[in-house]
Amino acid sequence: MRQWTVMYKKELSEQWRSFKWLWVPLVFMLLGMTQPVTAYYLPDILEQFGGLPEGAVIDIPLPGGGQVLADTLGQFSQIGMLVLVLAFMGTIVSERTQGTWAMVLVKPVSYGNVITTKWAAMLTLVTASYVLGLMSAIYYTFLLIESVPILDIVLGALLFLLWVMFIMTLVILFSSLFKSSGAVAFLTIGMAIVLSIISGFLPDLIQWSPGMLTSHSSDLLRTGETEALVWLPTTVTIVLITGMIFLSVSIVKRKEVIS
Amino acid sequence: MDMINWGVVAPLIAIQLILMTVALLDLVKRDQVNGEKWVWAIVIVVFNTIGPIAYFIFGRKTD
Repeated sequence: MRQWTVMYKKELSEQWRSFKWLWVPLVFMLLGMTQPVTAYYLPDILEQFGGLPEGAVIDIPLPGGGQVLADTLGQFSQIGMLVLVLAFMGTIVSERTQGTWAMVLVKPVSYGNVITTKWAAMLTLVTASYVLGLMSAIYYTFLLIESVPILDIVLGALLFLLWVMFIMTLVILFSSLFKSSGAVAFLTIGMAIVLSIISGFLPDLIQWSPGMLTSHSSDLLRTGETEALVWLPTTVTIVLITGMIFLSVSIVKRKEVIS
Repeated sequence: MDMINWGVVAPLIAIQLILMTVALLDLVKRDQVNGEKWVWAIVIVVFNTIGPIAYFIFGRKTD
């Protein structure tokens, strides 16, 4: 456990040195602010740049606060996810190709610790950025549009966070499989898109899919309620995340160090 | 449009400026980057938000 803590701290300080603790949270805060501000100013923006005929009456109802927050999470799952995957695609791959991987593994550290500390440090940064981004979105939504019941926000945000964690665990799994960070990013993003599309088209067939978490989360934010089946994708996702970590550790164990 | 609330918009601009400044400082301090330094400088300044992010992800050589 002591070893784990030391390695975890080392990972965090490495993230700090590469400015990740600065720019990832800032990008999420920016994403979080943009949605409510755009929604608020949309009528003005249209009036100014929309090229509407003179005297056209613009009557766009301001979207509800829950809707704006759900849209913000939509931004997080597109641009935010892309940024996260690109930022972390090199987690294991670059160490392998540069040879530091071998230097770590000749020391008496367990493969399990190497993978889990990397995973935990990554999720720490991701969760912190996500929470900061969401808090700026909430602040602006409450300020400009309307307030939303806090409990709905917290529950919806947690469901969405689980989906983010699932995707980031995919990054670790693919990093243990492939030597190129491009392949890691491509496969992770592809997987996320496929899961979202499938849950969009066949929601009844795959209620257990992790991709359903996003739609449950957005239902919660918009209407304050969602189907009773939330526990199904939640459990499945948690099981899958655990499974993927064990799988990554065993893959890394079996693979001899690639130089 | 003349009633823009600067209290609302200022934080957005501030964050973009911080990202740009940090990226530029890092670019200046670094000995080597992936690609030409002056190209990155233009990218960071011209494309707000996306420029600095691209630099942090692709420009910095991990040493």
